[in-house]
Amino acid sequence: MNIIVCIKRVPETTDADISIDKSGKDIDKSSLVFDLNEWDSYAIEEAILLKEKLGGTVTVISMGGEESNESLRKCLAMGADDAIRLTDPAFNGSDGFATARVLAEAVRKIPYDLILTGTQAEDDGYGQVGVVLAELLGIPHAAVVNRIEVQDKRLKVHRELEGGLEEVVEIDLPALLTIQTGINEPRYVSIMGIRKVAKKEIKSFGAPELNLKADEVGLSGSDIRLEKVFLPPVGEAAEILEGKPEEIALKVSEILRDKGGLS
Amino acid sequence: MELSEQTFAQKFDLYGCFQCGKCTGGCPVSLKSKLNIRRLMIEAILGRNLDRLGEREELWDCTTCKTCTIRCPRGLKPMDLVIGMRGMLVEEGHIPKTIIEAMENTYKHRNPWGKPKNKRTEWTKTLPEDVKVKNFSEGDRAEFLYFAGCTASSDPRIQEVAKALLFSFQQGEVDFGILGNEEQCCGNEIRRMGEAGLFEELVEGNVNRFESYQIERIVTMCPHGFNVLKNEYPQGRFDVLHTTQLLAKRLEEGKLSLKKEVKKVVTYHDPCFLGKQNSVFDEPRILLKAIPGLTFKEMDRSRERSLCCEGGGGRMWVEASSDTGQRLAEIRVNDAVELDAEILVTACPFCILTLEDAVKTSGHEDRLRVMDVTELLVEAIE
Repeated sequence: MNIIVCIKRVPETTDADISIDKSGKDIDKSSLVFDLNEWDSYAIEEAILLKEKLGGTVTVISMGGEESNESLRKCLAMGADDAIRLTDPAFNGSDGFATARVLAEAVRKIPYDLILTGTQAEDDGYGQVGVVLAELLGIPHAAVVNRIEVQDKRLKVHRELEGGLEEVVEIDLPALLTIQTGINEPRYVSIMGIRKVAKKEIKSFGAPELNLKADEVGLSGSDIRLEKVFLPPVGEAAEILEGKPEEIALKVSEILRDKGGLS
Repeated sequence: MELSEQTFAQKFDLYGCFQCGKCTGGCPVSLKSKLNIRRLMIEAILGRNLDRLGEREELWDCTTCKTCTIRCPRGLKPMDLVIGMRGMLVEEGHIPKTIIEAMENTYKHRNPWGKPKNKRTEWTKTLPEDVKVKNFSEGDRAEFLYFAGCTASSDPRIQEVAKALLFSFQQGEVDFGILGNEEQCCGNEIRRMGEAGLFEELVEGNVNRFESYQIERIVTMCPHGFNVLKNEYPQGRFDVLHTTQLLAKRLEEGKLSLKKEVKKVVTYHDPCFLGKQNSVFDEPRILLKAIPGLTFKEMDRSRERSLCCEGGGGRMWVEASSDTGQRLAEIRVNDAVELDAEILVTACPFCILTLEDAVKTSGHEDRLRVMDVTELLVEAIE
């Protein structure tokens, strides 16, 4: 089975101090560390597991700047065969739809049976790219997938719904699945593993190679325009506790008891 | 397996093993784990089951206390075999999730605990005003680099120890500075978890920083950092001391005055990486015995025979594979309680954390405290 996985390199914001940059439309990323989007790490692992079981190839694609090579190489070290980076200044500011359009043109150049994406990205969290991409390619899709069973030319997939519900659907190949976290345990990529793929070629395509016009991508090709990014205002009900951890814990338990949170 | 069976035995120099079993006999986790180091040795020599290492969860039980290697009558290195086997699993990528997190945190934040790089020195902001800390990365220069280490930079309990330490440095007129947010993980645990490539990267990064600030003398309170900086970093370039060594010297020179009585019954737990691996046994005891009013009692299993607390070799980031058997730290706490000790003193961040947990889980909170040597010294200084 030939599989394409679409991935994204994102900043890690857990535990970090977040501030808004000068444009007012993004966070300041200068002191943040970056990694492969968490959902995508499950998607690439699932692709590698399918390849190990059924044979075929895994191609990984990312739209982004040269720094995206870091995440593409991580995927190569995990076991992907090829990596493609889609880079063009014209792509900047693309919303989920425009991003899917760029990915679709790259995907059309490659034979595939299955496309996997993460369910959503950790940074903007729209959760659109996968499903729009399937629509543009005219193939069926299933979103929020947490289990895949391969049957001849179709798949049986489990979709995670609310409140512990699961939906099981059959889907004909070729198809696109957006992968939910927890579907597998992504393997560790060692430094030596990264070094081994350091010289592997990463193909790069811009708008002209993908036959895309400037007004079809980036801001002008997008339906969503970002107005402003801001930190949620601190509400009046918020109380910041200070002191030693044990003092804070004591205060928290008192507040919970007073407000009826502990019975 | 990329490594052929023959080179595996050769690489780890296993052919000298005559299966006496002294390694397993001395292994503290063999009390509770399936890990049998003697059997691993013979299987590795015969090339048996090497393709099924991934099924051996017990490989992650080893605390790299090094007792097996220290006691081997043939001078072999069974501990290195465990680390080598872990390394093979690391390269395949199939290792416990919590170990993956520790390694990825180290790659991204240079700290297995995952505290962001730019928050590494946050703990220094709450130091008393009269404790001055120089910072090499801000242009200061000093005789000693105080290598704080990841645990002291991340864990609130160990930050208390670091604060006590800086106070005693000041009292002992130690000219020291920190690396600030430029300090990164020493790599001791990373190497022992089998991530050789990441270890190399950490060593290179740290050595470059030491050299760019002309640092020659390093002092640290973490025996794990002490061990790796002293024995596994480029040799002959840095003079590395554990804090107890430096403070014992200052005491001998009359620069530390311990006047206040501490009327407590105290015993001392030798950390593996300070004691049996680096033979620093006397300095912590000299410091404790110099405290007026203090009654020092020795546990039966002390010095070279000290019982491992299960904090080393990556075990701060992974639970034991089997939940049968008592935590070794609980056994240790019981040893101290039997002596009627009121304070169980040690000199290692990991030991403090595992022993303190064990005091709670064994229900001895009312009668036993766990403290670092330095914390007790500070009580005697003021």
